Amino acid sequence: MNFELIGTMIRLRYKLLWANTRTRNGKIALFFAGYLLLVMVIALLGAGGTGAGMVAIKSGKGAVLAGAILTGIFAQGLLASVILGFGMANIFSEFELRRYPLRAAERRVTRHFIGIADPFWILFLVLDLGIAFGLYLFGAGSFWFGLAAVLLLFVCNYIAARVLGMLVQRLTSQKFGAMMMLALIICVGMLPALLQPVFKKNPAILAGVKRVWQTTPPAAAGVAMTHLDVSGVQALGVIALWLAVLAALLALLERRPPKAAVVHDTKVVWEGRIDRLGAIFGPTVGPLVANWLRYYWRNNRFRTIYPLALPLAAFLLFFFSRQDAAGHSAMGGPLPMALAVFGLIGFIGTGQFAVNQFGYVGGGFRRFLLLPTDPAAAFRAGSYLFVSLSAALILPAAVLWTIFGTIPPAAPLLAMLVGCSVMSLFLFHGVALWTSILGARRGNYKQALGNDLSLAGNVVVLGGTLGWLFLPQLVVRGDSPALVRNFWWVTPLLALAALIFYMVSLRLTTSLFRARREELMTLMEGKG
Amino acid sequence: MQMDGQTAAIRITGLSKLYGSVTAVENLSLEVPPGRIFGFLGPNGSGKSTTIGCLTGLLDPTAGQIEVLGQRFDAENVAIKRRIGVMPETLGLFDPLYAHEFLAFVARIFGLDEATTRKRVTELLDALELTDSGKTLAEYSTGMRKRVAFAAAVIHSPEILFLDEPFESIDPAGVALMKQWLRRFTDQGRTVFMTTHVLETVERVCHDVAIITKPGKLVWQGDVSVLANDGKLHFNGQEFDALEPLFLHLTGEKYKDLDWL
Repeated sequence: MNFELIGTMIRLRYKLLWANTRTRNGKIALFFAGYLLLVMVIALLGAGGTGAGMVAIKSGKGAVLAGAILTGIFAQGLLASVILGFGMANIFSEFELRRYPLRAAERRVTRHFIGIADPFWILFLVLDLGIAFGLYLFGAGSFWFGLAAVLLLFVCNYIAARVLGMLVQRLTSQKFGAMMMLALIICVGMLPALLQPVFKKNPAILAGVKRVWQTTPPAAAGVAMTHLDVSGVQALGVIALWLAVLAALLALLERRPPKAAVVHDTKVVWEGRIDRLGAIFGPTVGPLVANWLRYYWRNNRFRTIYPLALPLAAFLLFFFSRQDAAGHSAMGGPLPMALAVFGLIGFIGTGQFAVNQFGYVGGGFRRFLLLPTDPAAAFRAGSYLFVSLSAALILPAAVLWTIFGTIPPAAPLLAMLVGCSVMSLFLFHGVALWTSILGARRGNYKQALGNDLSLAGNVVVLGGTLGWLFLPQLVVRGDSPALVRNFWWVTPLLALAALIFYMVSLRLTTSLFRARREELMTLMEGKG
Repeated sequence: MQMDGQTAAIRITGLSKLYGSVTAVENLSLEVPPGRIFGFLGPNGSGKSTTIGCLTGLLDPTAGQIEVLGQRFDAENVAIKRRIGVMPETLGLFDPLYAHEFLAFVARIFGLDEATTRKRVTELLDALELTDSGKTLAEYSTGMRKRVAFAAAVIHSPEILFLDEPFESIDPAGVALMKQWLRRFTDQGRTVFMTTHVLETVERVCHDVAIITKPGKLVWQGDVSVLANDGKLHFNGQEFDALEPLFLHLTGEKYKDLDWL
């Protein structure tokens, strides 16, 4: 092993990170990131991890509780990295590392050392350490056993996330794989609610599940942290075994990259459906809209999110209805719940793309400026597409609500709900116009999952989603039928105001786009 | 170079482009006559691509005027954009699209009807040997991507072609074909404005050449077609029998020797 060169490459990764701070914005970002990281580490170590360790001791079920907490942390690490893309950045790809005199094994070690040293994973290490420290402090375990368990579990968590990420990437690169993936996520989300009655009826099944769980790395880590005897050593062995299996699986997956399904064909196939859809927007804008649609329809992330916007809305309704039925109403009743879900329909399918329209076009951005159209025409066309695609979900949602809704359907209620959707549609896409220019960020077109939006983009998407989920319950109070009868006209009126906001934004951002197009070009081409 | 009684295809007057405090092009003035292949040369970072960016509406000049086909040109001049074709430095392709989809998109935006679009796309793909329609642009080699960008520049039969380093990465057969097309293009009175670093190609293809140095300063402009008839290039009383020595002389490039190499 050429540890010297591996060390140099790892240092280079941090030098590159430091190089980003040469700009004023970079310095500010670094300061805030460093400050936040420090605060989080202190908070996690002090309040989170150690606190959890203390609770584990006090409850008298140290091993089980520590295992349960570690399982939660482990699962969060997996979900945050695979679904949201945190800590999964490949600073140097295998291809890039090949230019250096490193053997295959050394390249693998370099890549994963750089990966595991990501601040995201350090946070998880701190959490795990906090629990081990808490248990040790209150006399429930050995410091060295705890430390060994944490280190093994931490590496296990990282490798498991890599393996799962690669499997997800393989699944989503298949035809309909992206849709299957999100359907899977929804099913997993619903699983606890579905399994609860099964476990109640058959406690033997639950006992079986517990037995299986005890062989997992976090549960084993819980045992290792609290036992100084043979069972502690055995638990460490279980984690080490998992680590070996996961490492072998990772090596296998990396050695066998998915084969691109390239069809060698010499006959041009003219596919006209997308162009016909684009033609609805007229001869000038139509080809641009069709181009955007064709472009995004080939994107795995888009193909995951958009088709599942309606099922996701239905899932939310189902989920909140169950909570309502169980007596702990999270949404303040059926009407606020319906308003929240209808509001989300206005942007949930396209929001992530609308806030960063040019983020995935890379060098293609330049082409838009060379075409014999107003330079901002492509920008407007992109927004028209996203608005149209989201608008197309409103009618089916209204029909589905009429059939399956939890409140008896009536014209004023439907007007209120559709008005809510239209309002969020124009409001969100109006804000998205600004974000696409002022908060643009170069993204990775090939990545199916993960988050590569700018801070502004995240604020708009996540803030919009959370805001829309909880705003209706703050505003709508009192008896639902009376509210609908007296105030059904409010949301259509707000929808009109949102439409005006969208049109004004469109006009203003068109000028802004012209003024900032050079800056955007530099950013999208990766030179900024 | 002032032209006599003929409207210049391209006229640049006092063009400057600054990126913040960095000057990329400084007070550049030149004219390109119609029906010529014009080579725009300079060392790396001398402002060639920036100049082409200003000439094609990608960039806004900080100062100066640009006239294309006798009209004032800026990024908003759609009528002129319709009459020019551009092969940019970074190619400007949409990677997930197939070549025929990309070319058809460009053709439609340039106002070609559906029948003409399909006919021209098919002919261009065939002529440029881009016949593997099962691959997206992302899966094409660098040379093939250049060919697609070239096809996109010519599909609407423009009056002026701007080509930023068109021949690099393309195989000899492709280069020969493109040269042949460019000659036929200018024989019809149309103009080609191109940058390249391959001076032998410039000597064989271009009629006129302008050489700039950092930051975008014009240092020489002249007719290089004389070289084909054993003529000489002149600068400050000195004679040069090829473009390379003149270029090196003007740009101050020196051969540095590394004793360990």
